[in-house]
Amino acid sequence: MPQAIKSRPRVVGSRMVYGGLSVWSVALAVVFVTPFGYLIWRSFDLSVTWSDNFSQAWGPLRNTIFLALSVSVAAAVVATWLAWMLARTDLPGRRVWSVLAPLPLAFPSFVGAIALLAGFAKGGLIEELLSPFGIASVPRIDGFWGAWAVLTLFTYPYVYLPVRARLATLPHSLEESARLLGRRPFSVFFSVVLPQSVTAISAGSLLVFLYTVSDFGAVALLRYNTLTRSIFSNRLIDQATSIAHGLLLAVLALVVVVAERRLSSLGSSTAPPSRLRPARTVLLGRWRWPAMAAVVGWIGVALIGPLAVMGFWVVRGIANRGRITGPLALSFDNILEPARNTLSIGLITALVAVAAMLPLARLTARYRSKLGAICSNLVVTGFALPGLVIALAFSFWVLHSPLVSFYQSLPLLVLAYSLHFGAQAARVSETAVETVPRPLEEVSHTLGAKRVRRFFRVDLPLMSPGLLAGAGLVLLSTMKELPITLLLHPIGFDTLSIRIWTAAEELAFAQAGLESLVLVALSAVLTWFLLVRRVRFWGDV
Amino acid sequence: MENPNLLYKHNNPKYRATCRSARRIAVCRPARHIAARSTALLAVVLVVALATTLLAGCGDDSDNSITLYSGRNESLIGPIIERFEAETGITVNVRYGNSADLALLIDTEGSNSPADVFISQSPGAIGFLNGRDRLRALPDSLLSLHPETTRSPDGNWVGLTGRQRVLVYNPNLVSQDDLPDSVFALTDPKYSGRIGVAPQNSSFQDFITGMRTSQGDDVTADWLKGMADNNSPNYAKNSAIVDAVVRGEVDMGLVNHYYLLRRLGEEPNATGVNHYFAPDDIGSLVIVTAGAVLDSSDNRGNAERLLRFLLNEEAQTYFATETKEYPLVAGVSALPELPPRPELTTAAIDFGNLTGGLERTLNLIQASGIEQ
Repeated sequence: MPQAIKSRPRVVGSRMVYGGLSVWSVALAVVFVTPFGYLIWRSFDLSVTWSDNFSQAWGPLRNTIFLALSVSVAAAVVATWLAWMLARTDLPGRRVWSVLAPLPLAFPSFVGAIALLAGFAKGGLIEELLSPFGIASVPRIDGFWGAWAVLTLFTYPYVYLPVRARLATLPHSLEESARLLGRRPFSVFFSVVLPQSVTAISAGSLLVFLYTVSDFGAVALLRYNTLTRSIFSNRLIDQATSIAHGLLLAVLALVVVVAERRLSSLGSSTAPPSRLRPARTVLLGRWRWPAMAAVVGWIGVALIGPLAVMGFWVVRGIANRGRITGPLALSFDNILEPARNTLSIGLITALVAVAAMLPLARLTARYRSKLGAICSNLVVTGFALPGLVIALAFSFWVLHSPLVSFYQSLPLLVLAYSLHFGAQAARVSETAVETVPRPLEEVSHTLGAKRVRRFFRVDLPLMSPGLLAGAGLVLLSTMKELPITLLLHPIGFDTLSIRIWTAAEELAFAQAGLESLVLVALSAVLTWFLLVRRVRFWGDV
Repeated sequence: MENPNLLYKHNNPKYRATCRSARRIAVCRPARHIAARSTALLAVVLVVALATTLLAGCGDDSDNSITLYSGRNESLIGPIIERFEAETGITVNVRYGNSADLALLIDTEGSNSPADVFISQSPGAIGFLNGRDRLRALPDSLLSLHPETTRSPDGNWVGLTGRQRVLVYNPNLVSQDDLPDSVFALTDPKYSGRIGVAPQNSSFQDFITGMRTSQGDDVTADWLKGMADNNSPNYAKNSAIVDAVVRGEVDMGLVNHYYLLRRLGEEPNATGVNHYFAPDDIGSLVIVTAGAVLDSSDNRGNAERLLRFLLNEEAQTYFATETKEYPLVAGVSALPELPPRPELTTAAIDFGNLTGGLERTLNLIQASGIEQ
């Protein structure tokens, strides 16, 4: 019987709802396909040929796949472990760590990577700190291992947030049963928690994979030769190759997205959530302090290290204040307005992206529609394209559409962000929809609740940890986004990432550090407000 | 911890009290009360954010305004643009970005481009738009402000400032005797592993293109091969090289002259010195930043007025003192600590017509194995 339910679900709702969801999803997919359309059109325009433009692609493609897989696996392992530690155990200070854990996502990658390198490089802060202990030099962070380490440190929140949301709604009856059957906590983790979180882990790892594939800043700085690097270095002098490699990236992403959906649907098992009782807390006992050291170490390297380097830049800037004039002088003006703009555009984009993705997620996860899955795959694939490509494609389509008079306006900037980051909300929202138990919906239907009321009183509260995790991802990504912002923002609408880039480009590290600290602080407040506060209630962290 | 059940908070007497109270809260205060309050608070924040955002920053579209796409950073050019606005009453809407990205954007926008003027940090980006026939020929009155070596041969763009290639070194690690007059000496085995380079960076590539024009492809390929055999450490960009030299990670590096000067501005005690090659050596090539009027501009008069302003004495003096670059018009002198500006500049190089252009340069760089 359960098998029958899975293959042909009984859903409370009419054909009209199904039709509406389908139309919306197809429209969404059409919008999300436009960047690919642009790449294909350009490749015809530039007469891309296999022998001329793809012959050099094999090496970078192999590097891209290798790096993206390694980063995804590492991020998945660390993030799942971290989420479980912070959600289920009596780790000291876990509420503080809960707020801090998603924050590495808030660093704009160009500054975050510079700060991390400045800390660890030869002659950097870490070496200075270690020198009294007789450690003369630290290895240079570079190439594959450098890119792998930096990207893992900055992308693990893509897995952490969805897994954390899943743990918050995971029914403890399962964990309790396992315990009553004599399992010890770590065994419960592997036999119950892990299988139940597979969908979330897999969705998050997919985002890490696609982010790594699209990243340019870190691989350029660490000089690892990936496809994005060839897209960027050829963008002016050999556009055909640049576009061809962009297409290759898109195909790779599509293959991975489809494969991930296949795999995760094979292994998925979702138990309905329960929120009436707080989850059981695992006492770590003698593991308490080693675990604590591991968590502190990880968050220390990923977040506190770069923050310390930035703080050092600011302090040095303040100390040198007065001696320096002109464009490099540290200035506290002109931070408030960019901060407000960053906050607003981030919140609006997060709201728009989640609202746009929810119907698609319902169609895919609830109705198990083939059409929905196809649309969702197309939406998610877009995340693999570098921001520059998205911005150029968006500019091309807008200028060839009736929207031309809104070019480089705020609403279209929000649209461009949503186009780039919608993927983050899409897959996570599906996980959220899956956690709503169908019987509950049927019960409320039987009790006479209307559809709208059912949605707001039953579905939304149950989905909200997952949806907020999706919104949080979009929010943090939007707030730090740079390439799309630079090319498409309305002139005069400054954001923090523009200010940070302006300062960092001219080596005004004190200013860049100050603005980055403001950005991270803002992100921390929002993370606490949106994610921790709410998740805490249902999950009792 | 013999009893596995004691591993759970609920069964551990030590924790009973907290658990019970937690449960009571869950029962007494149903979820939606807290949820509703958070939602309301969130809604208020959103409404305020939306309202302020929609009111903020709208560009001025009137006739008395122009739009500038600037590949030069706001901190370098912003103050002088403000002076232009104050003196002429023309509003300049500036979009800052990376030169190459902005050139691509202008190319994509086509005839619909809102941009009137493009200012490029690198010869490659402005050469790209020139090759796409997107630049409008400038009047002689503007071109004649310049020596011929610092503007486009076809009169489609003018140079604004110059930046010289130099060898930055750490005085604690390098003795004066080790500093050569020519960049060609750097292939000597005694410099093995000591010269930081940035082969992926556009100013390094412009420098190689300059070397090809003056010395030919064979000499250039040999030099690149020599640098590769010397295992010259690679960096992503100029600033990373300067940073590595100051930290003592590498002894010397090939960069543009002003990176160190700005670094000293931020950190006056930084251990780094610029070494200038002989003025007639290709190692001293001057890279020209450029400005042009776009063919899509519907405000040509004001656009040319802006370029003319950037070449007047006030603006050129500003560039010389504040951004520490070489001014390009007669009558304005560079910072006293800089040597006289060498004659050979990237403006003399026709990036489009040079056999194979930048693409050939990249092929040479790739074939040499200098990229690690």
